[in-house]
Amino acid sequence: MAPKKNAAQPAPSAAATTQMDTTTAGSVPAAQHKPSSTLAKNTPANWDKVLQNIYQHYMNETPQRTKLIDVFLAFIAVVGALQFLYCILAGNYPFNAFLSGFGATVGQFVLTISLRIQTAAANKSDFPEVSPERAFADYVVCSLILHFFCVNFIN
Amino acid sequence: MWSILSVAAALVYAAAVSAVSTAGNRLLVVLDDVAEKDLYSQFLGDLTARGYDVSYETPRSEGLALFHLGERKYDHLLFLPSKVKGLGPNLTPSHLVNFVNADGNILVAQTSTVPSSTSIVGFLSELDISLPVERTGTVVDHFNYDVRSAAESHDVLVVEGPINIRPGLKPYFEIEGGVVAFPHAVGHVLGSGPLLSPVVRASATAYSYNPKEQAEVLDADDLFAAGQQLSLLSVFQARNSARVTVLGSAELLQNKWFEAVVGKPGGNSFRTDNQEFAKRVSGWAFQEIGVLRVNSIEHKLQESDELNPGIYRIKNDVSYNISLSEWSWDKWVPFTLPQDDVLQLEFSMLSPFHRLNLARRRTTGDAAVYGISFTLPDQHGIFNFKVNYKRPFLTNIEEKNTVSVRHFAHDEWPRSFVISGAWPWISGIGATVSGFVGFCAIWMYSKPVGKKN
Repeated sequence: MAPKKNAAQPAPSAAATTQMDTTTAGSVPAAQHKPSSTLAKNTPANWDKVLQNIYQHYMNETPQRTKLIDVFLAFIAVVGALQFLYCILAGNYPFNAFLSGFGATVGQFVLTISLRIQTAAANKSDFPEVSPERAFADYVVCSLILHFFCVNFIN
Repeated sequence: MWSILSVAAALVYAAAVSAVSTAGNRLLVVLDDVAEKDLYSQFLGDLTARGYDVSYETPRSEGLALFHLGERKYDHLLFLPSKVKGLGPNLTPSHLVNFVNADGNILVAQTSTVPSSTSIVGFLSELDISLPVERTGTVVDHFNYDVRSAAESHDVLVVEGPINIRPGLKPYFEIEGGVVAFPHAVGHVLGSGPLLSPVVRASATAYSYNPKEQAEVLDADDLFAAGQQLSLLSVFQARNSARVTVLGSAELLQNKWFEAVVGKPGGNSFRTDNQEFAKRVSGWAFQEIGVLRVNSIEHKLQESDELNPGIYRIKNDVSYNISLSEWSWDKWVPFTLPQDDVLQLEFSMLSPFHRLNLARRRTTGDAAVYGISFTLPDQHGIFNFKVNYKRPFLTNIEEKNTVSVRHFAHDEWPRSFVISGAWPWISGIGATVSGFVGFCAIWMYSKPVGKKN
């Protein structure tokens, strides 16, 4: 008899704790819901503000050379997208030409991203032994190899 | 001086004599009794006049042999009817088959008055030609017989103007408006072998019967063959171009039928053209006509002068020429295709990639050149230029020239700027490169990172 009673004893307390948990769980989201709904109501203005903040931060804090890299990246992305679009619309007849044209933009994009990573001030600690000049020299050499390959491949 | 002249004269004579047939001029005539040859004197005289060196043997002769030390002793055999049942140990069917395999030609002439020899029957059955049972049979036709010589027996057939049975063949046996008499003919029936071709068939109203056993009534079940089943003259050309000719009526070759006058029932009388027909039959049988020769084969790149190179490239433009001559009685003449026939070239690797009709390009004194220009297929490998021309009445041509076809070399592809479709991507590379150059220029001009002011 006794073991049976012991076994049954913890059950009510467990039920009580679960009950308490559910009540707290129910009340907390209800409490948090109000501010989130007000935030959702003001979203357009907030997004505007966020974007503007990001833009301001970018314009103020980014060095001029990094901005230059970003402009070049955008240019390469547009050129690559146009070539891909042309391939979809007009066909890939000299396929090697498409591959080398599109590959040139992709490769150039990757190399330029690498240059941006290595020259960004925030990453200085990651590349203690790579000076910006060294990074740029690497970038130029690799780009020339890429161009040579692409021009050779398009024949 | 005199000796040189006589040698030259001997050479000219030898050339004239050997010019009769492309296969040689040694002819053996096998007949029962040598005295019998007087019946055929005009025909045999024609053969001698055309340059044949004619020997006569009877099947009983001891010294008769077709081969001596493994070489043919004769180039051609002519079998005239003989009363002997078998032709003896030297003329068994296997000897005759060996003779044909060794490029010898055989002309077999039969008659219904004498049963065919078992040796001949066995030899012909090797070629899928069947003769009437009991080796005896005569072809009669109650509508197309000669009223002058066979008014009662109706066993002298009158064939008007033999014409080719199959279209698209050379007209070697055709005699326009002529009449050929087939006296006492034995009909034979051909199997379905592709090397056999009938030349003269009996008319639709003819049939074959055995005069000894079926003299009174002919039961339809006992009929050997009737109508156009029966062939009176058939030819067989083996794969090695050796020829076997089976002539149902030996009497066709006899003097008395060469210029005889025959008449059909209710018709006019005609002079037979048996002499001309016998000349054509023997001429074809002994390879005096219908023999083809390939003089030369040339293939080359269209813009190059190098002949027969061993290697080409895929998609090359090549031209192919084959020069053919045909032996016509005593000289080589340009080979002209029969009407509605074409000479074809196959460009094949295992199976043909191209099968093209050759056109006649030009004709010289004794040769005709057939050729074509075409573009090689887009497939590299070992290819054959193959001409496979096998037709009844003409000796076989099977010529194969093997060439390699390689793929494009790295520098043989068209440059990208030649292909207008590649221009957008060329300009893409151009934009990328010039963008890179501009970027580098501005980068080097601009202020280094990390140095304020």
